[in-house]
Amino acid sequence: MTNFKIQEIEKSFDGKIIENLGDNDYIIKINDNEHKLKIISMNSRGIEFILNQQYHKAKYLEQSTNEMNIVIDNVPMIINLHTHYDKVVYKNSGGSSSGGAQIALKSQIPGKVVSISVEHGDSVKKGDVVCTLESMKMQVAVKAHKDGVIRNIKAKEGASVAKGDIISDIE
Amino acid sequence: MIEKVLIANRGEIALRVIRTCKALGIKTVAVYSDEDTNSMHVKQATEAYHIGEAAPAKSYLNQEKILDVMLSSGADAVHPGYGFLSENDDFARLCEKNKITFIGPSADSMNLCGDKMECKAAMLKAEVPTVPGSPGLVKDAEDAAKVANDIGYPVMLKSVYGGGGRGIRIVTNDKELHDGFETVTSESIAAVGKSAIIVEKFLEKTRHIEYQMCRDHHGNSVHLFERECSIQRRNQKLIEQTPSPVVDDAKREEIGEIVVRAAEAVDYTNLGTAEFLRADNGEFYFIEINARLQVEHPISEMVSGLDFVKLQIDIANGEPLPFKQKDLKMNGYAIECRINAEDTFLDFAPSTGPVPDVTIPSGPNVRCDTYLYPGCTVSPFYDSLMAKLCTWGPTFDESRTRMLTALNDMYVEGVETSIPLYKTILNSEEYKKGELSTDFLKRYGMIDKLTEDLKQEKENKTDAALAAAIIHSEYFKSQVQNNSNNSANWKNKLD
Repeated sequence: MTNFKIQEIEKSFDGKIIENLGDNDYIIKINDNEHKLKIISMNSRGIEFILNQQYHKAKYLEQSTNEMNIVIDNVPMIINLHTHYDKVVYKNSGGSSSGGAQIALKSQIPGKVVSISVEHGDSVKKGDVVCTLESMKMQVAVKAHKDGVIRNIKAKEGASVAKGDIISDIE
Repeated sequence: MIEKVLIANRGEIALRVIRTCKALGIKTVAVYSDEDTNSMHVKQATEAYHIGEAAPAKSYLNQEKILDVMLSSGADAVHPGYGFLSENDDFARLCEKNKITFIGPSADSMNLCGDKMECKAAMLKAEVPTVPGSPGLVKDAEDAAKVANDIGYPVMLKSVYGGGGRGIRIVTNDKELHDGFETVTSESIAAVGKSAIIVEKFLEKTRHIEYQMCRDHHGNSVHLFERECSIQRRNQKLIEQTPSPVVDDAKREEIGEIVVRAAEAVDYTNLGTAEFLRADNGEFYFIEINARLQVEHPISEMVSGLDFVKLQIDIANGEPLPFKQKDLKMNGYAIECRINAEDTFLDFAPSTGPVPDVTIPSGPNVRCDTYLYPGCTVSPFYDSLMAKLCTWGPTFDESRTRMLTALNDMYVEGVETSIPLYKTILNSEEYKKGELSTDFLKRYGMIDKLTEDLKQEKENKTDAALAAAIIHSEYFKSQVQNNSNNSANWKNKLD
């Protein structure tokens, strides 16, 4: 049983496959409800399936061991996974710098760094402006996603950042 | 006769023009910047010429360079699209001098349309109603106060050198007017070193309604009906529709006659747009002429059955209009949504970058003009408009429902889009009832509604998302544990 949390609606679910009926038909269980599922096609990038007689298409975008970024029927969703497989994965992938994903403040848009409002070692509160980007003549503030101390400022004034680039770490 | 057209533009409008030219057997010449080497218009045109760096000033605004290409490629006409050089009368004049047909109005007419004060004076002479205000520049605060008291507060103090919200103050009494006059003067001097102020009545809860003008070189003028473009953000249109819910046949004819007068007043030729503000009391006031083909022209094509680019080329060829006003009949209802690459929740900040995957909606009475293709890039150098999604229906509601279906079908991976916002707007009671105004988004709290709708959409997709996640995590687990990349193999091992 794996526990899934959908951030945007702040709800948790338990889910698993309970039976393989063959011919790509499965019975899955979400919380207390069983559903019929037929896989039409799948690979590492996405899946097409019929769930309770309704067609769905999902794309798997970025994924880490504990977070999935998927687009289901054109609707983007972020799902957190809490599963004991996490540890297996870490081991098998040769480990990684622990918890990096949560520390890094990433840019949500591409642009040029106009100014950086913090220095290494500064304490920031969630929502504080860390730096300002310019994209298509518009200035956009990048704000701290959590309370903490600024470490490893990656952004440089005058340089460009892509969407998803790390601005700095907040520990 | 025009045989080879250079399209001095990029993106969807370049493609739009190329399509009609191809249908008419006219050769096309594309121009492109460094940034557009992989763009569709380069691939679709008969010939393509590189004209410079990504920055517009070094490519799509470089008149000399574009002229060089016109002369060396042997193009006999140029279509400017919208934006870039489309309303630059110097460029129109440069083409005229070099005996290249500029598909649009004459340089002189364009110059007159572009000069707000001169244009307003010409309209007053032709008895085209304009927003009440000072007949020209006001000398000082006293002069401004006199005008304000004549037309009644609230009024707007506007620097003729302003724009984009700068150099504008709304004032409600004499005291505010005196303070505001000083502020606008100093802002204007700070920005451009000079100040010239006009006074205009400030209208609340206005609609933006525009008319398609059409005039040939023989003095035949018609209008091709109206478009309502009230749903805007930062004075830029988001959703347009035709007909307007507040224009009936009698009103269409009444304002249409004014539009024909307006076109004649500035000796306009080819297609153009006369923009009006409609006050809450039903009065129409002329604001300006857009001397070009508009972004939102497809919806007028849908209800008129005409190809506007073909019409433009025919007029440029000197042909008389093939119809009279009485021959033109409006058929059905059309809506356009401008699919922009922007993040609604970051105050519409642009969102650019690679687009690995795209789904373009299709089907009867669905039209999507776009430069997108899977693997393309949305460039930060140019406009955020990626696609124009248009639908038609015999009734407004069929057109609206068809648009909602098309919006659901459309998918642009990699960038934020305005699609979710449009679904919220088209589903709102205010939109269904035609309760439109230029402050629609704020007035009816559309961004908050969007937040709720997105949450609801995710709730509705929960089971499907979890099913996809469950299958994926089992797949992932089997890959890690069995070191196997074969999903078929994995499926067999599931039990």
